[in-house]
Amino acid sequence: MTKKTTKKARISPMFRRAVSHIFTKPATKQYPFVKPILPEDYRGQQVFDSKLCIGCGLCSRDCPAKAIEMVDVEGKKRPQFRLDQCIFCYQCAESCPRNAIKTSVFYELATTDKSSLVMKPQASAQKGA
Amino acid sequence: MQNNNVDIVKVIESKLKGKVKIELGRLGKAAITTSNGLHRDVFKAMVEADEKTGIVALTGLDLGATLSVLYHTRTSNAFLTVKVEVPKEDPKIQTIVDIIPGAAFHELEVTDLFGVIFAGNENPGHFVLTDNWPMGVYPLRKDVNANAIKLNPSPPEEAAPPENGRLVKIIIGPQHPALLEPEKFAVTVDGETVVKVEPRIGYVHRGIEKAAESRTYLQDIYLVERICGICTTIHACNFCETVEKLLKTEVPQRGKYLRVLALELNRLHSHFLTLGHAGLEIGYETLFQYFWRDREPIMDLIELTSGNRVYPSIMTIGGVRRDLKDTDIPKIKSTMTDLRSKLPFYRQIYANEPSLRARMKNVGVLKREDALKLCVVGPVARASGVDIDVRKDEPYEAYGEIPFNKVIYTDGDTWARMNVRMDEVEESINIIEYVLDHMPTGPFRVKVPRAVPAGEAVNRVEAPRGELFCYIKSNGTALPERVKVRTPTYANIPAFLKTAIGENIADIPPNFVSLDPCFSCTDR
Amino acid sequence: MERKIEARLQNRVGPMVAGPGGILQPLADLIKLLTKEDIEPRDAKKLVFRYAPLIAFAVMVFAMYFLPIDGASVLSTTGFNGDLIVILAFVTIANFLLFLSGWASCNPYGTIGSARVLTQFLGYDIPLTLLALTPAYIAGSLSIFAISSAQVTPYIPFIIMAPWAFVLFVITMQAELEKDPFDIPHADNEVVGGLETEYTGGRLAFLHLTRDVQIVFGAALVVELFLGGPHGPVFFGVPAFWFTLWFVLKLIAVVAITEYITVVFARLRIDQVLSVNWKIMLPAAILSLVLTIAMVTWIYPRVF
Repeated sequence: MTKKTTKKARISPMFRRAVSHIFTKPATKQYPFVKPILPEDYRGQQVFDSKLCIGCGLCSRDCPAKAIEMVDVEGKKRPQFRLDQCIFCYQCAESCPRNAIKTSVFYELATTDKSSLVMKPQASAQKGA
Repeated sequence: MQNNNVDIVKVIESKLKGKVKIELGRLGKAAITTSNGLHRDVFKAMVEADEKTGIVALTGLDLGATLSVLYHTRTSNAFLTVKVEVPKEDPKIQTIVDIIPGAAFHELEVTDLFGVIFAGNENPGHFVLTDNWPMGVYPLRKDVNANAIKLNPSPPEEAAPPENGRLVKIIIGPQHPALLEPEKFAVTVDGETVVKVEPRIGYVHRGIEKAAESRTYLQDIYLVERICGICTTIHACNFCETVEKLLKTEVPQRGKYLRVLALELNRLHSHFLTLGHAGLEIGYETLFQYFWRDREPIMDLIELTSGNRVYPSIMTIGGVRRDLKDTDIPKIKSTMTDLRSKLPFYRQIYANEPSLRARMKNVGVLKREDALKLCVVGPVARASGVDIDVRKDEPYEAYGEIPFNKVIYTDGDTWARMNVRMDEVEESINIIEYVLDHMPTGPFRVKVPRAVPAGEAVNRVEAPRGELFCYIKSNGTALPERVKVRTPTYANIPAFLKTAIGENIADIPPNFVSLDPCFSCTDR
Repeated sequence: MERKIEARLQNRVGPMVAGPGGILQPLADLIKLLTKEDIEPRDAKKLVFRYAPLIAFAVMVFAMYFLPIDGASVLSTTGFNGDLIVILAFVTIANFLLFLSGWASCNPYGTIGSARVLTQFLGYDIPLTLLALTPAYIAGSLSIFAISSAQVTPYIPFIIMAPWAFVLFVITMQAELEKDPFDIPHADNEVVGGLETEYTGGRLAFLHLTRDVQIVFGAALVVELFLGGPHGPVFFGVPAFWFTLWFVLKLIAVVAITEYITVVFARLRIDQVLSVNWKIMLPAAILSLVLTIAMVTWIYPRVF
């Protein structure tokens, strides 16, 4: 494809377009008053189901950010997620042979208290965190 | 003159019979092992036979007692590697900068990271490493002890350079509003005309190549994806393809098409980003806001198909990680139609807007011979008349089956480069629509073993900024032995050093942005 | 208002928080700047560095003083015949002081930025003065008060009598005020801050204030010379209130026009700016003056 030759010099359409924008709605979404609608498989905070977990530790081994640590919960090994290290790649969910880690659309994780970013696993008797 | 039918291997064989060892089919079309000094004859023969010979990358390898340098080269119809080995105690190789000037940056990097000295292209300080890195410690060698490295104290502040008569030295960067990411360019100006540009890169060097050696292949995908925040998908895809070559597996058809979809969405958003950023650099804030407003639907699409706007993390070894839902296809198609209808407006602005044409036309002209000698890649090369596009030259994924055009302009100025990107946006929209219409059914990934067999593999893809290259050497364990990534901006920065000379200072920002710099990519 | 108009033209919202609808954002920025630390580079020329922004601001405010805003008695006594030229001279002095403040910073960015300021405003002063003389010629006087009142008795603002002068004056004013497409002196992509680079805290606040006052002053001058100043229909109550209201409305209209020009164009390089000045603006200004003289002498007495 060769260079496109310009035909007669016409007036730039920018003039009209700029004026027309006075009458259209601005394209800005006024977050936090208007929240975006996220797709359902958005990679937000992990949802971990302790009942399904078998303690194999594959999630911890495969985590690229070393954000998962297997901790002892009532004699069983369960993963503890450190959300301040996590890169939300969900390799853990893929490696899990029992599908115990699922996505959620919760993404407003900013906090002033770093300890709230550690997802401690519950025992398998109760529902997971 | 396009020497499309020259068989470069035969040319080398005939000219240097007996002095080189040629292994066909390894590391590209052929791996040519030669010795220090003779490699210059090999390159001279290649450049004489084919004008489009260019260095893709230089990979250094630590083989224990010796250091090996692989010169990955491309010609008009082939990709091959020239290997030179030198002993570790006396690692000196003759430079090839006089034959192929574009090799300068690559040689300097190997010097910094491995300690190979290229006679004729020496640098007193560091190139990619920071200034307080101790001399004599080469990080990518295997026998380096990471815990024993002590950084030197920071060098003293550069005093304001004495003004040599009319010449004033302005330092652009590391922090500067014109640059997205930090790099330092010391620009010597005479009044308002640029006389010389001296770069100092390496401010964003994170040692990703070394870090990749201590992580498994699966973890490395995410590491390599984060080399850059804009061209994330293509880095991951490149890495996965190289590993798949080592594993000798083939991605199923549906996986290939889904990969093409993700890559083209990535290309779209990257080009919109650059086009908007170019508007910002010439002071055209309105154009910047409009382009970025139109980029938002693309980001929403990336979020829809992969779960995240910026780091899609959709590539894995063996295919893609998630499938495309049929309910998403109409959304993607309607966004593409919307984008296509917006393009004529932007095309008209580029063609007719007087202030934009005044700032962009005939600014930063890169002639075709310079583009070939400096081995530039991507839209920068295509705007100067060099028709290289890895998607057409060496089709990967499903690009061999998808019809699209190469976009070539011959002006070589900033205006042409921006127009190349705009036309590529249209081509990407076409590709995405074709992919959606012809999506095959079936599996989208295959299971691969975790241990990768020993061997070496190379791979090239076309990132939005140009040709991206990856070399992986595996030794049979779960961790790779050497990962080398050559990013397109690394190859394009020498072009900026050339085009800025003789221009106005005010032309530096648009000139610079037109080659789409991504310093995270440059420094890794 | 400027930022809101610019934002709307670019299909976004602009500042939203400070003041009703975000209009008071520049005021908020100024207050924030006044609370920051004042840093002085070691090599800067102290006296000029410290006081040039203040004097520039003072000169600009003093120049504003001569513009009649409420059409009535108070300020008319301070105006005198010839104050048009005096005001333009004040603008030049203020710009020159801005240039000095950048020059005294001893910073390569500041040097280049202030050199650009100097070339730009010195060049554009000439067509500006010529074009300002056009309505003066029509009104027959050099006092701003007289010019704006001359548009009342037959209520015909000079924009109708000499529209070519209005268009050229707005463009030249755009260049004097250093707004797009002529805002190269403080183009932040190339010279970081231009002449403002080394300034922080309160001194930067005064530089910004000077520039803001300049913008208002430029628009006010356009209103006075071409749009009939504060005069307009009075409906009820105190005339002074209505005159002020009309003045403010006309001011906003002029600001909208200049913002539109800012938004629609890219930034021109300094050599392109200068070539526009000497090759286009200056001949056009001379032609416009000649044309106006011709029109006034021969045609208008028959029409009006």
